[in-house]
Amino acid sequence: MSVLTVSGLSVSFGAVQAVRGIDFAVAPGEILALVGESCSGKSVTAKAILGLLPDTATVRGSVRLGGDQDSPRGPVGAQGEPGEEGAGGRELVGAGEEALRRVRGTEVAMVFQEPSTALNPVHTVGWQIAAVLRAHRRLTRAQARQEAVRLLDLVGIPDPATRVRYYPHQLSGGQKQRVVIALALANEPSLIIADEPTTALDVTVQAEILSLLRDLRDRLGTAILLITHNMGVVADLADRVAVMHRGELVEQAPVADLFDRPTRAYTRELLAAVPRLGHRAPAAALPAPVDALRLTDISVRFKDFLAVQGVSLHIGQGEVVGLVGESGSGKSTLGRVAAGLLHPTTGTVSVLGGDPRTARRHLGFVFQDPGGSLNPRLSIEDCVGEPLKVHKTLRGNDYRARVAELLDSVRLPASYAKRRPRELSGGQRQRVGIARALALNPALLIADEPTSALDVSVQAAVLDLLTDLQREHGFACLFISHDLAVVDSLAHRVAVLHRGQVVEQGPHHEVLRTPTAEYTRQLVAAVPIPDPTEQRARRTQPADAVSIA
Amino acid sequence: MTATDPTATAEEPVEVAVPQRPTTFRRGKGLVGLVLVGVVVALGVIGPLLVPWDPYEQIPGANLLGPSAEHLLGTDDLNRDVLARLLSGIRVDLLISFGAVPAGALLGCAIGALATLNNVLDVAVQRLFDVLLAFPQLILAIGLAAVIGPGTTSVVIVVVTVEIPIFGRLLRAAVLRVRESQFVTAAEVVGAGRGHILRTHVLPNSLEPVLVQLALSMSVAVFIEGAMSVLGIGVSPPHPSLGAVLTTSLRYLDLNPLFAIGPLAVTAVLVLGFQLIAQAANAARGA
Repeated sequence: MSVLTVSGLSVSFGAVQAVRGIDFAVAPGEILALVGESCSGKSVTAKAILGLLPDTATVRGSVRLGGDQDSPRGPVGAQGEPGEEGAGGRELVGAGEEALRRVRGTEVAMVFQEPSTALNPVHTVGWQIAAVLRAHRRLTRAQARQEAVRLLDLVGIPDPATRVRYYPHQLSGGQKQRVVIALALANEPSLIIADEPTTALDVTVQAEILSLLRDLRDRLGTAILLITHNMGVVADLADRVAVMHRGELVEQAPVADLFDRPTRAYTRELLAAVPRLGHRAPAAALPAPVDALRLTDISVRFKDFLAVQGVSLHIGQGEVVGLVGESGSGKSTLGRVAAGLLHPTTGTVSVLGGDPRTARRHLGFVFQDPGGSLNPRLSIEDCVGEPLKVHKTLRGNDYRARVAELLDSVRLPASYAKRRPRELSGGQRQRVGIARALALNPALLIADEPTSALDVSVQAAVLDLLTDLQREHGFACLFISHDLAVVDSLAHRVAVLHRGQVVEQGPHHEVLRTPTAEYTRQLVAAVPIPDPTEQRARRTQPADAVSIA
Repeated sequence: MTATDPTATAEEPVEVAVPQRPTTFRRGKGLVGLVLVGVVVALGVIGPLLVPWDPYEQIPGANLLGPSAEHLLGTDDLNRDVLARLLSGIRVDLLISFGAVPAGALLGCAIGALATLNNVLDVAVQRLFDVLLAFPQLILAIGLAAVIGPGTTSVVIVVVTVEIPIFGRLLRAAVLRVRESQFVTAAEVVGAGRGHILRTHVLPNSLEPVLVQLALSMSVAVFIEGAMSVLGIGVSPPHPSLGAVLTTSLRYLDLNPLFAIGPLAVTAVLVLGFQLIAQAANAARGA
């Protein structure tokens, strides 16, 4: 018996095969995680189940709802229309728009990645939940409103009777995602498809949403098809895992087995690429004659908003300092201040003992979005060589030779010099961004979330590269990231930023393993460990989890 | 797959699906547009050489004749060969489309780009553009013609004046958008100057909408020329232009209906051609 049975599902867009014949089933009350990197076809699979793909897609195979069951679970509402299904459940591939509409929301519901775009900004959350309720059930306005309050309460929104009248912008990101989950639960579906439900959220919020999903499954018995790329989330939540790679289902196993004994090469690679907290010996501190970067008592004010307040930070020559914090903590602002892109309201910045604006020759910057930070109209050669041109250091054959050398140092073939940025993959573009930052042999490299837009395996490769280059060239590095594990794998020292203030800083193994500040403890505790047994053990005794190290 | 080797995780697909270069102008709308405009340009450039008649010559006894082997499109009220006048008229319109419109575009883009450098200048230029755009094109044309008098020069001036604010606004908006891109910040971090950023990053990425607007404005220029002729403030007699020939023909529709077919067909083909090119170019931007 299963809620959802997918067999031989394949999806193609023209000549491109996105999904190549996959089979899996979700049992009632089970959480199945569909894991894979970008372009592996996991989101396409989810959309194919609900018939949400555009007309250009060709879907073959079968998706059955509630198979092997005499009386498929209908919606709780009173309308009770006759289902078109036979004994083997309801076939969704090729079903008409009207049949699909009745399935969506009542039997299968979806939770999207980005809660702020999934909610309509011009209606209150109560209105939106009521609209979903009334689309499938005959309820009066008052009943629907009451039901909406009950649902908000169910997903753990405090004071639901008031919040039901709030507009989405009045809620935080985590609360919005709770509302999206409430919307999905509105008609008591037997299956929820959650497409990267926590990717857009901070780790502490992510931990709350994950425990909510687990709690809902325990209380309501709703099956969840969880689509994610984050192995920590999988370890935390899933019962079974299906690994997808290039449209094929590589491996399917219970979560503990998969993490302990992955049978397929790709799964092993994927698990090996996941950065883990506290799995590296502390690096030796370097002697620092002149500081590469010294921030003294920096405050940045945007109108009424104090983004950074009184931050002091120094980076010695050849030292890698990780700056971690959640969104809105001011870490990117601090990066811009260090690069001289932004003038601090108060405080002083010095790069190699001088103003950052005059020290630009000795400064490199790696951006988060590798696509956006490269001019689409320039060739890779010109992108990488731009600093050389701007500072008129090299030209002609020397220039080309240096660019080739830089491309080689980031392990890109020299033949890519004539390509355009769009002809490269995300990881390759980020390598180009690193090559550009290294063009002038900088003494200080500022990297603002350089790997957060990349897949895990690509991220691992880029981190390896950065570590190697740092060892080789000995530049100092300000490494800004929200991912504690990434920072831990790279930094000598770590500074934790919270609401514009440094709450803790020190050697990385101390800050990330034996945190003293309350906020750092929460942060470290919230990171899901990519190991199901350990994660489960920690979940049962959350209070002790942080202090064990 | 080298699963046993831990460095295998560093591998990533070397090849990425490389988008094909757009073939917009090799098929469909783009091709048809190019062919239509090309035919009219060819007619205008070599046509007058093939017709034995002079566009200004008054042929004795040939008043408002219908089409014949001698006069393929007939003759007009002043005994001139319509085909000869039409083909010469095309040249005037091409001059306006390919001369006045790019001139206006160049001026407008220059002003629009300059305005983004300084806030005070920007406000001043924007209000000036507001004033220019507040006038409907034909009202502006009548006003200008009243000051400088009718004639080919005034048509050119009107077209340039109409195009300046359109292109100025377009480029300004594009520049403001591109200026916020991360690759511009990346260039700033490197220490690049304003001139370098404008030249290598901002302008090349802002020109796409300008090119589309160029084709669109060329079709509008043909329309403005015609409308000004009909209003009597366009290309002044005896000089031929598409609008001038059409205006004359309108008065004799009852005597010689075929008189109007030539200028109408050429105007339609030219406008349609420019519009199709603009549409194809716009579609290519999305690709």
